[in-house]
Amino acid sequence: MDHPLPIPQFLHDGDFLSVLKAHGYEIAPRLAEAAAKFQQEMSDGGIATEGTTVLAVKYKDGVLVAGDRRATAGNLVMYERAEKLINIDERSILAIAGVPAVAFEMARVLEHSFKYYQRSQLQEMSTAGKVRSLSKLLKENLPLTLQGVGMVVPIFATYETADGKDSGGKVYFYDALGAQFEGVDYAASGSGSLAVRSVLHYLNTWGGKPLAKYNESEIVVAALRLLDTAADSDTATSGYNPKSNIFPTVRVVTKEGIHEIPESELGRMYRSEV
Amino acid sequence: MIEEPYRWVEAIANRREYIEDQLRLGSPVVLLNYADGLLLLTVSRETCKIFEIYDRVAFAALGHPADIERMRLVAIDLAHTEGFNRAAADVSLRRLVNFGMSPALKTAFEQVFSAPYIVKMLLVELGDDSEQDSIVKLDYDGSFAHSETETKEPFDALAGGNEAQKAMLDYLVEHNGNPRRTLEDALKLAAKTWAVGMDMAEQGQDKTGEATEKREIEPEKVLKEYLKARHVEAAVLDRSRPATGKFRLLDEKEIRAALKDL
Repeated sequence: MDHPLPIPQFLHDGDFLSVLKAHGYEIAPRLAEAAAKFQQEMSDGGIATEGTTVLAVKYKDGVLVAGDRRATAGNLVMYERAEKLINIDERSILAIAGVPAVAFEMARVLEHSFKYYQRSQLQEMSTAGKVRSLSKLLKENLPLTLQGVGMVVPIFATYETADGKDSGGKVYFYDALGAQFEGVDYAASGSGSLAVRSVLHYLNTWGGKPLAKYNESEIVVAALRLLDTAADSDTATSGYNPKSNIFPTVRVVTKEGIHEIPESELGRMYRSEV
Repeated sequence: MIEEPYRWVEAIANRREYIEDQLRLGSPVVLLNYADGLLLLTVSRETCKIFEIYDRVAFAALGHPADIERMRLVAIDLAHTEGFNRAAADVSLRRLVNFGMSPALKTAFEQVFSAPYIVKMLLVELGDDSEQDSIVKLDYDGSFAHSETETKEPFDALAGGNEAQKAMLDYLVEHNGNPRRTLEDALKLAAKTWAVGMDMAEQGQDKTGEATEKREIEPEKVLKEYLKARHVEAAVLDRSRPATGKFRLLDEKEIRAALKDL
């Protein structure tokens, strides 16, 4: 006899993807769809967009995550107000560089996977588990990455408080094939990341004090200067755009959760510090 | 022989009696509004009975723990697939209950050869403001009652038997007072209401069928007695929470502080 309720007959392990699968959703074809759309738009010379410079730096109270707002297609600037930081849960941010269509689909899957796990299992997923989930999604995307159409190279920043212990901010970065690495002090991704990483290395080593000792306003100013530096040599990265008053996105993840630095404050800092 | 209509009706009636008998002594659940949202409270022996379903939806139940667990997972699965395939704003309690859980429960209830679900549920959804909060009671046979159309009150009570439920609702109506009450005051009132309901449920068990005249009890005293072997479990859907998920289980310290001078 068929069971009258759609109840999982197997042991419930909190895996959202298997629930989706039971409802006919497969992640790989969806990512392929997003990437195919991207490729089509590219060949039409149309509106396909790519991400640019994002960075995550540990500081005194947690992690700062920042991203510029420019999306480009080839040598064209497509959009100056792209959002590259996606809040995944109360204390985690995904910063994306690469094809937004694929990255946003990944972010949506991750967000619901973490929520689903927490609610069904009545405990939060460990940081290692979260990091691994993203890695699995990137591996699903491998065929597209190899075709060169749907590459996503994200950064995952989180503040670890699981099991009541406070282990502070964590930064993880990935390669396009899904390998994960933990950043000791910082991570950057996207076309402008080389400049950012070089300056971060300099600051951290010879800058007077290590980045981990910076307070919030110091680290925000540093992030604004870094994005400006990246924009200076990388056309696919925008700094502050005074003409249309567009600011980068800057968020901090602390014990209290995620806080977005408001544009008014960024504007003040730009005028006085950058 | 169950094919005969009369037998079938009899089988359903027996089933109903059996389930209600099992539910009668279940620990009641109280739902109460307060300044920032909604509070759910029960007093339990061991297992947790108040759960988060989605960003703005919470679930409390009484019955067999395994059945509670199954219904909880059904609700979570339905809510999360909807939230993922469409948007978080499309997850609504009305759709979850009316089109998802209720028809499934009814089917299960009427299959007289399989074990029934022994469970009674109270589901709540936090609206953008208190006017839009929504409360649903869902029964083991799939029947449900929405607060918008039935009670029209921002509070509710769930108990195994009708008498206990009525006693609790009467108590709530009588002591309702200020709907902008603090969380602490809400905890106190909810705990006392729970005691009224549990006392009525257990008294109902002692007597032999006759309706009791209205009993005068001291909820504070009754509650203290129960708390020797049980603990208060409470959660809120809190509009003032900045995160998208509005559900928060209250920790023991918070509850104890609110109830210490009862």
